[in-house]
Amino acid sequence: MASASAGAVSAPQSFVREKILLGKTFREYVRSCCTPVNAVAALILAIGIPLIVIRFAAGLGATTNLSQTAPWGIWIGFDMMTGIVLAAGGFTIGATVQLFGLKEYHPIERAAILTAFLGYIMAIAGLLADLGRPWNMVMIFASYGTASALFEVAWCVVCYSSVLFLEFTIPFFEWVGWKKVHSVMKKALIALTVLSVMFSTMHQSALGSLFLLAPTKLHPLWYSPFIFIFFFLTAVIAGISMVIVESSISHKVFHSQIAGQHVDVDKLTLGLGKAGALVMFAYFFLKLQGVIDGHAWGYLRTGYGAWFLVEIVGFVLVPALLYAYGSRNGKVKIVRIGGVMGVLGIVLNRLNVSVIAFNWNQPVRYVPSWMEVWVSITLVTIGVLLFRWIVNRMPILREDPRFAEAHH
Amino acid sequence: MGHEFLSIYSAKLLEYTLAISYLLLFIPFWKYVQGGKRAEATVPAVAKRPAVQVARPAGAVAPRAAAGWFQVPAGVHLHPGHTWARLEADGLVSVGVDDFAHKLVGPARVELPALGEKVAQGEPALEIGDEERLVPMLSPVDGTVVAVNAAARERQDGLDDPYGAGWLFKVKAPRLAANLRQLLTDGPARRFVEDAGEALALRMNPELAHVLQDGGTPIHGIGRALAGDEWERLARQYFLT
Repeated sequence: MASASAGAVSAPQSFVREKILLGKTFREYVRSCCTPVNAVAALILAIGIPLIVIRFAAGLGATTNLSQTAPWGIWIGFDMMTGIVLAAGGFTIGATVQLFGLKEYHPIERAAILTAFLGYIMAIAGLLADLGRPWNMVMIFASYGTASALFEVAWCVVCYSSVLFLEFTIPFFEWVGWKKVHSVMKKALIALTVLSVMFSTMHQSALGSLFLLAPTKLHPLWYSPFIFIFFFLTAVIAGISMVIVESSISHKVFHSQIAGQHVDVDKLTLGLGKAGALVMFAYFFLKLQGVIDGHAWGYLRTGYGAWFLVEIVGFVLVPALLYAYGSRNGKVKIVRIGGVMGVLGIVLNRLNVSVIAFNWNQPVRYVPSWMEVWVSITLVTIGVLLFRWIVNRMPILREDPRFAEAHH
Repeated sequence: MGHEFLSIYSAKLLEYTLAISYLLLFIPFWKYVQGGKRAEATVPAVAKRPAVQVARPAGAVAPRAAAGWFQVPAGVHLHPGHTWARLEADGLVSVGVDDFAHKLVGPARVELPALGEKVAQGEPALEIGDEERLVPMLSPVDGTVVAVNAAARERQDGLDDPYGAGWLFKVKAPRLAANLRQLLTDGPARRFVEDAGEALALRMNPELAHVLQDGGTPIHGIGRALAGDEWERLARQYFLT
């Protein structure tokens, strides 16, 4: 990545060296990249990227176990559904800071928006890999299938990714030092946040609405006519949990960047845990209500029922209680454990709805091929690497001193 | 399952039971989450940090000679909003305003929080000002107010020893270790008030910023001398409120 930028950018050498190579010479920079973590990442990419090429060259049949009865695999269930829901931190924290005025959460806002932006890019990449004829994507701009849930999803993803991109330009302009555009974008941030809340509310729930078309395919314990409400609520839960996990990891990994800042991440974590506890508690009861409403309680005694209980007791009720206990007693570690379980619970929910409990009554079940799994891991790895690359360079966790006044 | 005609009654019964029990359970859950008895975290959290200095009892504080106009003695943890916190020998944390705030406002009237009131770091906790107007100041730590310095409130010269007899209230601070990490001590604290003083000096005379420094320490009530009736705005700017 570094060598490509170094060749392409025609700005003076000092810009490349200072901004891209972190002040090192090219040789020093390459040497500093030789770490065990990078070696693992390189191995994943070395196999994953050729796999993506094979998928586009030889088609879905050559790389996946998808079929006419199981057209949705983990590229939809994990990369798209999960990638999008875990990116919900962007609008959750954006609304908290910009709309509800809880300015103390400002220090984690940029990282949440960056996570959301990269999450969406990776989700779109996964979607393009999954679509049989991805070039037909452009048709959403030409044909107005306004009665289709997929049409709504597509448009909202397009609009929301654009909004996230615009929100992300604020730290980007600080990085390159363009003050004029920066101040314009800074002023537009509230409007962008309003748009981001609108688009993500609509399409997080629209992803759930997709399943309204398949009441016979989705297991009755998971199917509910209110599934779009569940999808929206889980997006809020995922947003809160993901920000707890992501902020504690990045403040540990990038601790050198935040030295000397007056940010009490522990306090923010406790506040987020409080909010998470209440939302998850309400969601748990709504899920039960969905079971009763669908007359599906008889299924609770089956194997799928046990699996359903694992999801809503083990990964919704338990983390809700952990959040409550931790934030009441000021135990940040417990809130973080709750955060990890909350994130896992949401991943589990999306996989259950779109893969595990989907087509549950088919004689032949879909199991992903190793290539599908590897491509998914590759996309996550690319997302993490991009996050690290950007945080190491742009003012995401810390304030740029030249723009410090603009933050207050 | 099939659609038995009568099962709708049992379903509705379950639904209503669940909805009502949810609402009944949500009330204690909400109360549990919102309430916070975090007192037990106090002592061990502090004991684990040797960096926290237990200061000499109030009154016996000997200010280390600080360069410039404003003083910050050792053991005092300064908040950027010009309030300070100090861990006392009895485990309580006393809170006051710093020398800079005292000299900016001059002989002042203070409004203190009530006993038992909860204060939070970075949130307004006390007010300082003259007979007409009061400016809020931020609490440097989280905690519950357990003592209030009546002398500082009632006497005109109550604040004259801002780090000693001029303490304003004492709190039981459950998250002291975490709070103190956000505050400035020793060198950085002194540099912070010096910078604030410098900014004030520039305001007095933009071209001759440092001339006053060898002419003695500034008079009390700089704010009013500088900005007249605008002193309130000036003070708010420094007190971050």
